[in-house]
Amino acid sequence: MFSWLKKKQSASVAKDRLTIAIMSDRESNQDFQFLDELKAEILEVVKKYVDVSSVDIKKEVEGDIEALSIDVELNHKG
Amino acid sequence: MGIVIAVISGKGGVGKTTATANVGLGIALNNKKCIVVDFDIGQRNLDMILGLENRVVYDMVQVMDGEASVKQAVIKSKIDENLNFLAASQTKDKSTLTSEKVKKLIDELKDNYDYVILDSPAGIESGFEHTIEYADKAIVIVNPEVSSIRDADRAIGILDAKSQKVKDGEEVEKYLIVNRISADMVQSGEMLCSEDILDILNIPLLGKVSEDRGVIDASNQGKPIILDNKSDAGQAYARIAGRICGENIPLKDVESVSTGMFKKLAGIFK
Repeated sequence: MFSWLKKKQSASVAKDRLTIAIMSDRESNQDFQFLDELKAEILEVVKKYVDVSSVDIKKEVEGDIEALSIDVELNHKG
Repeated sequence: MGIVIAVISGKGGVGKTTATANVGLGIALNNKKCIVVDFDIGQRNLDMILGLENRVVYDMVQVMDGEASVKQAVIKSKIDENLNFLAASQTKDKSTLTSEKVKKLIDELKDNYDYVILDSPAGIESGFEHTIEYADKAIVIVNPEVSSIRDADRAIGILDAKSQKVKDGEEVEKYLIVNRISADMVQSGEMLCSEDILDILNIPLLGKVSEDRGVIDASNQGKPIILDNKSDAGQAYARIAGRICGENIPLKDVESVSTGMFKKLAGIFK
């Protein structure tokens, strides 16, 4: 009888785990939604001062620390 | 003007291609002109499921590249003349797809068919993005299993971010098919039920398909299971196709053991 009770729980365990996993997936995906826009805006601003060819933004996660790393590639000198 | 429906899953191996074949044939059986297109470039499979592998001459990449016309490349099914098929390329790479080429092909298909069904590749790479780009609607296939559901949510997220319709400020309607349901396991609490999956994914349910041994038998023969109107999965796909074509068919409870019990009882009296 107890093994039956135990089995009964695995679908609800799955539901709980999925609900949390998907919530955090959706949050981190939300962060990425604006990246294209951010890239374009940074490109515009930096362009006012130096000649840039591209901007690349990556979200990096290490342990508890999240960081945005922004690479700005300059055009070759004359 | 035809309706473009992308069939997506996120995770592979959940029965997406089988679903595409059965949905496509089911729509054709409802007397609508339908074309199914295999967008899984490099991993051509839909032709086998539809039993058309020996008739493929030109593929969709050749059509997009202007090496063949739609007319030359499209194969008319002998099962139902309303069902048409366009094969994926087996040799080319997914990177061959561009938005322009995909749009041109889909626009041409929309002009000629009532329903354009696209079998998307698994994963969320560029091949997937091109499949959903010009879709009006999407059918999401999941198994009642955590990795499938999580990957489906991710695929839905990308669909909602990258499709042209969404960029135009509209919404791509999404519908869920829960595939490979085992009533016994749902009843014993070992398998997520459809309602739980709907709570998590939050899109409307198009149909529930039971685990059915006949599906493999059907693909062995290249005759989609919908043709076996005695099979559980075949009946489920027939209901699904009817719903897509606008019929009001109530959802059937395939998750209660009672149906299984009834069957077993019926089996005794056979």
